[in-house]
Amino acid sequence: MNKKTNTMIILLFTLVSFLAGRWAGNDYLLSVLILIAINVLMACSLRTIFILEQISLGHVGFALIGAYSSALMVMKLNISFWLALPLSGSICALTALLLGYPFLRLKGIYFAILTFMLAESLRLIAYNWRSLTGGQFGLTDIPGPGTIGLPFLGTIDFDTMENYYYLTLMVVILSILVLFFIEKSHLNVKWRAIKDAESLAQSVGMNAILHRIMNFVIASFFAGIGGALFAHYQKGLSVEVTSRFGIMASIYLLVYVVIGGKEKFSGPIVGTIVLMMISEFARSFEEYRPIIIGFIAIIVVLFLPEGVTGIPERLTRLKQQLKKG
Amino acid sequence: MALPFQVWVQIIINGLSLGGLYVLIALGLTLILSIMGILQLAHGEVYMLGAYAVYYLAVKMGINVYAAILFSMFLMAGFGMLMERFLFRRCEDKVLSPIIISTGLTLILQAGAVIVFGLYERSIPRLSEGSFELMGVFVPKDRMVAMVISACMAYMLYLFLKRTKLGLGMVASAQNPQAAQLKGIDPHKMSLLAMAIGSGFAAAGGAMAGSILMLTPFMGTLPLVKGLAIIVLGGMGSLSGAVFGGILIGLIDGIVPVLFGPLTASLAPLVIVIIILLIRPQGLFGHE
Amino acid sequence: MLKIKNLSKRFGGIQAVTELDIDIKERQIFGLIGPNGAGKSTTLNMIDGSLFPTTGTIIFKEENITHQRPCSRAGKGIARVFQKDVLFSSFSARENIKLGLHLHSNLGLKEIFFPWSAISKKKDRILDEKAMEILKFVRLGEKADEMAINLPHGNQRALGLGIAMATGCDMLLLDEPLTGMNAQETDQMMEMITTLRDEKNLTIVIVEHNIKAVLGLCDQVVVLDFGKKIAQGDPDMVVEMPNVIEAWLGAEQDAV
Ligand SMILES: Nc1ncnc2c1ncn2[C@@H]1O[C@H](COP(=O)(O)OP(=O)(O)OP(=O)(O)O)[C@@H](O)[C@H]1O
Ligand SMILES: [Mg+2]
Repeated sequence: MNKKTNTMIILLFTLVSFLAGRWAGNDYLLSVLILIAINVLMACSLRTIFILEQISLGHVGFALIGAYSSALMVMKLNISFWLALPLSGSICALTALLLGYPFLRLKGIYFAILTFMLAESLRLIAYNWRSLTGGQFGLTDIPGPGTIGLPFLGTIDFDTMENYYYLTLMVVILSILVLFFIEKSHLNVKWRAIKDAESLAQSVGMNAILHRIMNFVIASFFAGIGGALFAHYQKGLSVEVTSRFGIMASIYLLVYVVIGGKEKFSGPIVGTIVLMMISEFARSFEEYRPIIIGFIAIIVVLFLPEGVTGIPERLTRLKQQLKKG
Repeated sequence: MALPFQVWVQIIINGLSLGGLYVLIALGLTLILSIMGILQLAHGEVYMLGAYAVYYLAVKMGINVYAAILFSMFLMAGFGMLMERFLFRRCEDKVLSPIIISTGLTLILQAGAVIVFGLYERSIPRLSEGSFELMGVFVPKDRMVAMVISACMAYMLYLFLKRTKLGLGMVASAQNPQAAQLKGIDPHKMSLLAMAIGSGFAAAGGAMAGSILMLTPFMGTLPLVKGLAIIVLGGMGSLSGAVFGGILIGLIDGIVPVLFGPLTASLAPLVIVIIILLIRPQGLFGHE
Repeated sequence: MLKIKNLSKRFGGIQAVTELDIDIKERQIFGLIGPNGAGKSTTLNMIDGSLFPTTGTIIFKEENITHQRPCSRAGKGIARVFQKDVLFSSFSARENIKLGLHLHSNLGLKEIFFPWSAISKKKDRILDEKAMEILKFVRLGEKADEMAINLPHGNQRALGLGIAMATGCDMLLLDEPLTGMNAQETDQMMEMITTLRDEKNLTIVIVEHNIKAVLGLCDQVVVLDFGKKIAQGDPDMVVEMPNVIEAWLGAEQDAV
């Protein structure tokens, strides 16, 4: 695929996602679209961690921090949603900064375990810290962004489903653009170098642990934004095991990234959309949904390790082989 | 502390019996990790299946509980070997692919269990009825039995690894797979064995948990969380670390909520692990 | 230039290096030799900072660097070529060198985040030129755009040397730069090493099993055995010492 077709696909895709808000028509479909958009952001930020060949099993932990801090800031401190959104991302970034040093000295499986523990501990804290988080009953009546006047567009009420979808979409697209910039920046060149050969990268003067922390902070910031968007959409938060902040939620994100293809920037976007759509179509047999996703995950890992976005390359390679032989 | 002595005894015994369960889980996970180099995230589901197998054997078919546990252990050992042969052995890398495959398995097995077994909670007959008195505290006998069984199994694993040729081969293979292969130790065979032992231990743990607590399709999540904490705490693939870490986490779970409340209890393992990692990045029992 | 005092390193039960004292002068080619497992790589690892010693101090250009990280030591002028083929494998040869140059690329925020801006492109061209110069020096001028991972072994080693040179170091640590090379590649590599000292005024520490090369290159050698220094001095003299022959050279000569 050349650059032009790529750009065309991206533009078309953006257009469709905007129109989808119109087409959806009812609140149920809109809520599905909102969740897809939020999960796309979560999966993209999770892949940022993958660039340094680290695997996080606790990415929703940061979404939890983002969701609760945004909700509490708006509810208890009367901060406006528009300020709370970036602030909650920053709180996540700060948390990642503090945890970065002890966590990122470990690699591979052990880092994965630590993040797993982190998310589960955060969930339990939210569950047990009744005075702050409402404990097992959670937070309810979280206000939405409300009505604001915008130049050219007039006053808009962001509390309607459709407008909240557009808001989410804008924030998600903006965040993804930032992540894309980072991917194309010189920062990512260094990250890839550290991934290839950490010892060599250090011996030419790159501060590997600093870069790892920076990477973790960036990814966590956007996970926090995702969480905050979720809080003001759902208007209520709870942290049961089976909630969106349980372990399974992190695992789903990981599966989205891998099925989409972790090598490509588009991987997590494609993976999230495809799997969430499949899951949505399978709605009528609710209890079989995890089984379907689980099977897809196993099949993809065994037979298509590059993920769905790796299919074009695979086809070209196949064609070349056919020509040769 | 202001707690009466009896309460201390009580919570320590609770902690130790939890610790025994955790040790069984952590030993399996550690064995699999050190031999195969992978994270088996469906280990909790093996634990859950092991418990349900005992339920069907003991309650539905009326087999003696102990025999049912033994049978379930072999069943799960077989299941573990199948997983190794047909899934984990085919993974191209050791970190990401096994994680995704085992999470895929988790999704399938959990949802499958909901469909097959239903959502209602069941229980396995007690391992032993009644209770006895220890230092002024009534201790349920089944907890004591569970503790003793866990301790025996851990000790048997120790003997197996130190005294038998196969066990020594496993240790060698864990320490240096290439060198072991040169000495004629087949790594696939060792992996099969690790999965078999690990899964068998998980089944025993599940069965004992099922007799003390309840059976649900989601019962495997908690022990997995604990098992993983124990792995980092106890030292990254060290079996003695797994035993020590298991008892430690069990005691924390037994004591901290009573002394300091659930909030501190939910934070304690993470804080302890972070502190240990800052001091010893290789874990308590791990080597540099 | 580099003073090592009383340096020791333990790994669990293994004493890899014991109470080592070394003094390396400017523009020396300094050999570190000894049988397998003698602690040579471990010593290099402590000099470049990938390992911290259990006890002892390392002083580089009058500064105590014992507990500095590798990346800060790189800034002070220590560079390293690794024993195994450690390269930035998903990059081309030229990009590998450019990564080595990164301490001198002084990219600002703008260049980091807008690599397509005019000023970034200009800086990039300058880097490209510098990289080409180095590539020519290590005789990879024609292979600038090949992926590092696809280069033959000899070229990979040369590229490793190029990356280390690119950091603009004053001291170069080479861990077995000649292993696995054919005669011609060996000669080329030895020539490059001497040129680096003669023309670029580098101080070089070299770990090498090829005794002819050591005799040909080094001004001064230290022999390690079981982590201890058993001899030091002029290479021609040292190889005559009976304890050295017993510890290492004997075994080596039997093999030849
Ligand atoms: N990270 C480590 N952990 C434990 N032991 C180690 C470690 N690195 C080295 N050792 C041990 O320290 C000793 C010295 O090893 P070192 O690699 O420094 O030897 P060497 O002289 O470079 O040998 P070679 O010629 O084979 O490269 C050896 O016994 C080795 O097994
Ligand atoms: Mg060496």
